[in-house]
Amino acid sequence: MSTEVIKVTINGKEFEVPKGARLIDVCRDKQFDIPSFCYYADLALQASCRMCLVRIEKMPKLQTSCTIICTDGMIVTTQSEEIEKAQRSMLEFLLANHPLDCPVCDRGGECELQEMTFDWGGLEERFTEKKNYYPEKYLSPMVANDPQRCILCKRCTRVCDEWMGEDAIEAGGRGANTVIGTYGGWLDCSQCGNCIEVCPTGTLLDGTYRHQARPWELTQTISTCTYCSDGCQMSLGSRGGDLMRIVARDRYVNGLNGEFLCVKGRFGHPFVNHEERIRTPLIRYQKGGKLIPATWDEAIRHVAQKLDAIVDAHGPNALGVIGSPRITNEANYLLYKFATELVGTNNYTATDSQNLKPFFDNLAGPLATHRDIRYAKTIVLIGGEPEELQPLTGKQIRQAVRNGGAKLIVINSTPIRLIEQATQFIHIRPGAEDAAALLLANNSNDELATQKLGIEANEIQNLRQTIADTQGDLVIMFTGELIGAAQAVMAQLPYVFRGEENGRRVLLHPLPLYNNSVGAHDMGLMNGAMNQRQMLEGAGDAIRAIYLAGSFPIEQLRAHEDALCKLDFLVVQELFETDTTAFADVVLPAASFAEIDGTYTNNDGFVQRVRQSIPPVNQSKSDWMITAQLALELGLDFKFELSASAVFHEIAERVPAYAGLRYPVLKDESNPVQAKYEIAEERDLTSELIALRDAVQALPETRDKREVTPEVGHELFKIGTLTDKVPQFHLLAAGNPRPATLRVSPLYQITVDADLREPVAVAAE
Amino acid sequence: MFIGAIGCEPLQLARVQLENSTSLDVYRKHGGYEALKKALSEMSPDEVTNEVKKSALRGRGGAGFPTGMKWSFVPKDSPKPKYVVCNADESEPGTFKDRYLMERDPHMLIEGMLIAAYALGARLNYIYTRGEYRYLIEIMDRALEEARGAGLLGKNILDSDFSCEIYTHTGAGAYICGEETALLSSLEGLRGHPRMKPPFPAVSGLYASPTVVNNVETLTAVPDIIKMGGEAYQKLGTEKSGGTKLWSVSGHVNRPGVYELPMGYDDMEKFIMEDCDGMLNGGKLKAVIPGGSSVYIMRADQIIGKDVRMDYEGLVAGGSSVGSGGFIVMDESVDIFESTKNLTEFYKHESCGWCTPCREGTDWLVKVFRRVASGGGRPDDAQLMLDLCDNIEGKSFCPLGDAAAWPIQSAIKRFPEDFKKHLVGTNGKPQVEV
Amino acid sequence: MSQQLTQIGPLSQPVNIGDEVASFSSEVEAEINWHLAKYPMKRSAILPLMFIVQRERGYLDAPGVAYLAKRLSLRITDIWEVATFYSMLHTQPVGKYHIQICKTLSCKIMGEPGITDHVCNRLGIKPGETTADGRFTVSLVECLGSCGTAPMFQIGFDYHENLTPEKVDQILDSLP
Ligand SMILES: Cc1cc2nc3c(=O)[nH]c(=O)nc-3n(C[C@H](O)[C@H](O)[C@H](O)COP(=O)(O)O)c2cc1C
Ligand code: SF4
Ligand code: FES
Repeated sequence: MSTEVIKVTINGKEFEVPKGARLIDVCRDKQFDIPSFCYYADLALQASCRMCLVRIEKMPKLQTSCTIICTDGMIVTTQSEEIEKAQRSMLEFLLANHPLDCPVCDRGGECELQEMTFDWGGLEERFTEKKNYYPEKYLSPMVANDPQRCILCKRCTRVCDEWMGEDAIEAGGRGANTVIGTYGGWLDCSQCGNCIEVCPTGTLLDGTYRHQARPWELTQTISTCTYCSDGCQMSLGSRGGDLMRIVARDRYVNGLNGEFLCVKGRFGHPFVNHEERIRTPLIRYQKGGKLIPATWDEAIRHVAQKLDAIVDAHGPNALGVIGSPRITNEANYLLYKFATELVGTNNYTATDSQNLKPFFDNLAGPLATHRDIRYAKTIVLIGGEPEELQPLTGKQIRQAVRNGGAKLIVINSTPIRLIEQATQFIHIRPGAEDAAALLLANNSNDELATQKLGIEANEIQNLRQTIADTQGDLVIMFTGELIGAAQAVMAQLPYVFRGEENGRRVLLHPLPLYNNSVGAHDMGLMNGAMNQRQMLEGAGDAIRAIYLAGSFPIEQLRAHEDALCKLDFLVVQELFETDTTAFADVVLPAASFAEIDGTYTNNDGFVQRVRQSIPPVNQSKSDWMITAQLALELGLDFKFELSASAVFHEIAERVPAYAGLRYPVLKDESNPVQAKYEIAEERDLTSELIALRDAVQALPETRDKREVTPEVGHELFKIGTLTDKVPQFHLLAAGNPRPATLRVSPLYQITVDADLREPVAVAAE
Repeated sequence: MFIGAIGCEPLQLARVQLENSTSLDVYRKHGGYEALKKALSEMSPDEVTNEVKKSALRGRGGAGFPTGMKWSFVPKDSPKPKYVVCNADESEPGTFKDRYLMERDPHMLIEGMLIAAYALGARLNYIYTRGEYRYLIEIMDRALEEARGAGLLGKNILDSDFSCEIYTHTGAGAYICGEETALLSSLEGLRGHPRMKPPFPAVSGLYASPTVVNNVETLTAVPDIIKMGGEAYQKLGTEKSGGTKLWSVSGHVNRPGVYELPMGYDDMEKFIMEDCDGMLNGGKLKAVIPGGSSVYIMRADQIIGKDVRMDYEGLVAGGSSVGSGGFIVMDESVDIFESTKNLTEFYKHESCGWCTPCREGTDWLVKVFRRVASGGGRPDDAQLMLDLCDNIEGKSFCPLGDAAAWPIQSAIKRFPEDFKKHLVGTNGKPQVEV
Repeated sequence: MSQQLTQIGPLSQPVNIGDEVASFSSEVEAEINWHLAKYPMKRSAILPLMFIVQRERGYLDAPGVAYLAKRLSLRITDIWEVATFYSMLHTQPVGKYHIQICKTLSCKIMGEPGITDHVCNRLGIKPGETTADGRFTVSLVECLGSCGTAPMFQIGFDYHENLTPEKVDQILDSLP
């Protein structure tokens, strides 16, 4: 939209608006209420509900304001008898075949159709005929469907297509028989539930929350998702200490994700009130014995004595302190403080196989926000599979291409689903991502790199050309699997591709796996002398005891079981008994994200609030309080009382990137605050490049590229400790009985020619 | 069934009566492809468009939009491919002229399309035929094959540097696909929903490229225009509506059929009583729907002795419009309530379901009609119908909504007695507000 | 997993449409290729291809739909949304002879009701039904463009016009 302003007159008042502004937005911006159902910002226009009719001078008929771009001198009326009648009659039409069963509808109380009818509708119902009827049904374990309530605004089909690129739900039938549905009546998709979110009526409903509560009984708490590193903002709906549902409806929350959530964020919450949550602290008095319930005092005293003894006997470094990329900054910070200030051990880390330290140490440009991604001109994606692992990033990429015309270059060993949007797909050998980093750094190693990647030289030329041609934002994304040297190289790319002259910004977007991977790094936990693998290997000799928040990743655990057995002492803070707690001498019940205050830092570098929605379940405590209590028992008072904000206050003083941040500053989820990471000046990367070159040299050339596009949900539906507690996820993991998936290829992405077509020619397959 | 011209030399229908009139030879013997030759050898594309402008040819599909003007909207400089699409979806109740044009004289359509394609610089073109007309698609395919063989299609047509292909495309049973933007959606393999205008097809149509959609009869008029020149063609008709027009006559007349009349033919009563050989077994004229179901219905007394001229202006003056020229004649035996119910059922069945007023409105209206028909009429039902029509008219996404409302509005206003019969008031007296 | 699975019945109606994909003779494939070759975009050929699948398999059955999706690189839902929009496409079986009687105004006033009654009495079914032997389906359809030769019906793709009960009998008798 240009900066040029034009004049429009609305209801007799003259306004200056930016050229190209959409009339409906302008009217609303100027406080003239315009009803609408089908209009949804950033989705393809529909103009089908006909609610937004206005009168524009010199135009025949009433016009739909959702389709009108303001022109200079336009004279608009939004309120008049004629318009009121039109709006009332549209509602009358919409309600004609509507069952009017608000009292038994889950949406009742937060239904746009209901509200609109109160605001604009007529009084008496003139429709006395028989209503068309469709049976209620489930479309999938997650999505319940009552077609009779549908007003066919098609928001659901559009988000399914435009946001998710799945096109799984569509309109079938014609005329008054049109219904939203799928072939075979079963929804075969990633089950994100965004169709439920955007549905203005009770047509598509959360199948896991059906008939469980009325909206007005729920307390809405704005918080941050605890699954992936995108950090979606959500509203936790709780009643009487139970977390009932999670939504992103804009009436409750307006985060970076808008109304978007993925299947985990939306449906993955039932673990919170799950009956298997650990109830009390547990102590295993002798090895091989059972875990026996204990009081907090007892447990804390027991742990303190043990740790004290071990540190006395073997020195501070014998105690390993391990935080987690899943818990809050506050919790990780206190573990760091505990390790460094109280114990004085060099051996601390977090249960994250990827360490972002080399990246942040060399960071030469700002992190890309999700908004930047949506409006980027070029996106380079190295490794990873955002549509499964960072779904919001996946959606932003898709929209950047489809709604914003961005160029997407995918460098991957697998033809992930996003290649459907890609302008260029560079198909590389598995595990060769480091070689790609080498290519981007400079062109002196092209031969080696292309050979290791198993690609053609011209593929690189195209890639470099696209980057060189980029005017506007260039966003470079990569997975954390890159080795340190490669990360350092990536971090410095803004200097390599700098192009202020043609308005190019180079933005970086790491794709860590966990909701607080970035925060764990920021809190200093990744500066320790050992990483989790080394610590596990050292278990039993260098490392005598481990104080662990959360659990070890299962593959790490399996690899080091005997070492763990040799530990003198293992204390674990957890929600559930896991394979890790099986080795623990003491297990302390931790509170989940829904029960605590704190902050997570996402892959945009946004520091976002986690807010308490329900009281701690059973006897659990938030991780940082446990650490503080343990410290106190060991003789150091952190002096935070019970205040998470006090902890964060100290973080803001100690962590430069967080300087000046306070909870009140982070209050408004609708404009999140980015941590101010220090921008490194241009570095001489010779040593890194040598290291990287050697690493690439060592890469095998034998492994073949994966040829098949992975099925929707192959990562999302994996059963983890938390999703294991959600029955529906087991249905999904079991394949969610559905027809074989067929790939989508959106019509307008094929380029059109009008060349003569030889009638006898056989279409190339 | 009669097929022929009255009050003018047959143009469109010049060859329909000939022995195997579908063959290329016969077409050529009777001046076929002369116009194409002329256009390719003597005229520039813009000159062709200008002739069409001069001819005052107006779209025969129903909207009556000046064809030359429509062509001139196509951005010649656009780098995108251009398309000419023939609208042969003919589904307007009472309309069957395009069918006989294609059945008897396919090459005339091909020649018309080729000239249009030349004028607009289109290389790839389609004839969208309604699915039920399968046998016409076969006729067209044969004719196209013949034309290909004779170098009239494909590369360097008639040794000019103009290359062009035409293909048939089948619909699958949807009236709305006659609406030009819905037709394009359907041609792209999507559901047949209309699209937003603007952008108009001339700017962004098929595959988002400049596209002209023209009715069969519109395109078949083009060769004659080029042959005789725009002015001459226009003179056959009136100033604003040039040339001749086909009328599909059905219902209670002795001689139904396809009639070619000069635009401005005088007058409708004469046409029915003499040219169509009068009312079927001496019945009495009650009503006429002159332009396909989507226009106002006319009372006999709006026709008898009113000499209604048969062209766009004349019919509007007479209280209806030309539409697609589907001329349905009804005698006293017809209950206008029933006939209106019948048409409303048609529109309900054909509403694409995209927009609220048409989808829900037609559904509601049909339900009211059926209730009333089955004896459940209420005094204020006519009022209700009129109000529902008013709530649809001018508020729907595409003109089908309006098309559904007009027949009802005009029927209730012009034939109240037929509705009264069905709407018994609480006081036992029939009543209906008009 | 201790917790009970959420009850998805009785509301749920999962349908497994199976993995079978229809296949066709080389002649039919050639015909399909000819249609695909006509358009710059595969998807445009969806209607012609649907008619072919329908001709070969009687109606758009699951394997037929799977074939279309695969051939046009679309998703089954894309096929479904189109197939259910057009009234000439059948997602349910229809009789060998599909008698489509035009019921719109011109035919209506020229004697459609009599023809419909005659056909239905003769076949012993109501409009919308199919005879037990699966030979005949009778439907009432909207204007077929034979208003001048009303009343009329279409059997399959064949037009039969200016109908009278006698003529209807001849036509039905002559069907193989
Ligand atoms: C609901 C609806 C149905 C239509 N059906 C047809 C049709 O069957 N045939 C046709 O040629 N035009 C039909 N039209 C008109 C087309 O939209 C379009 O105006 C016409 O094809 C343009 O060609 P012309 O300028 O040669 O008339 C229909 C319009 C509407 C709104
Ligand atoms: S008026 Fe609306 S519902 Fe009716 S056909 Fe047009 S777009 Fe479809
Ligand atoms: S919001 Fe404009 S038509 Fe729906």
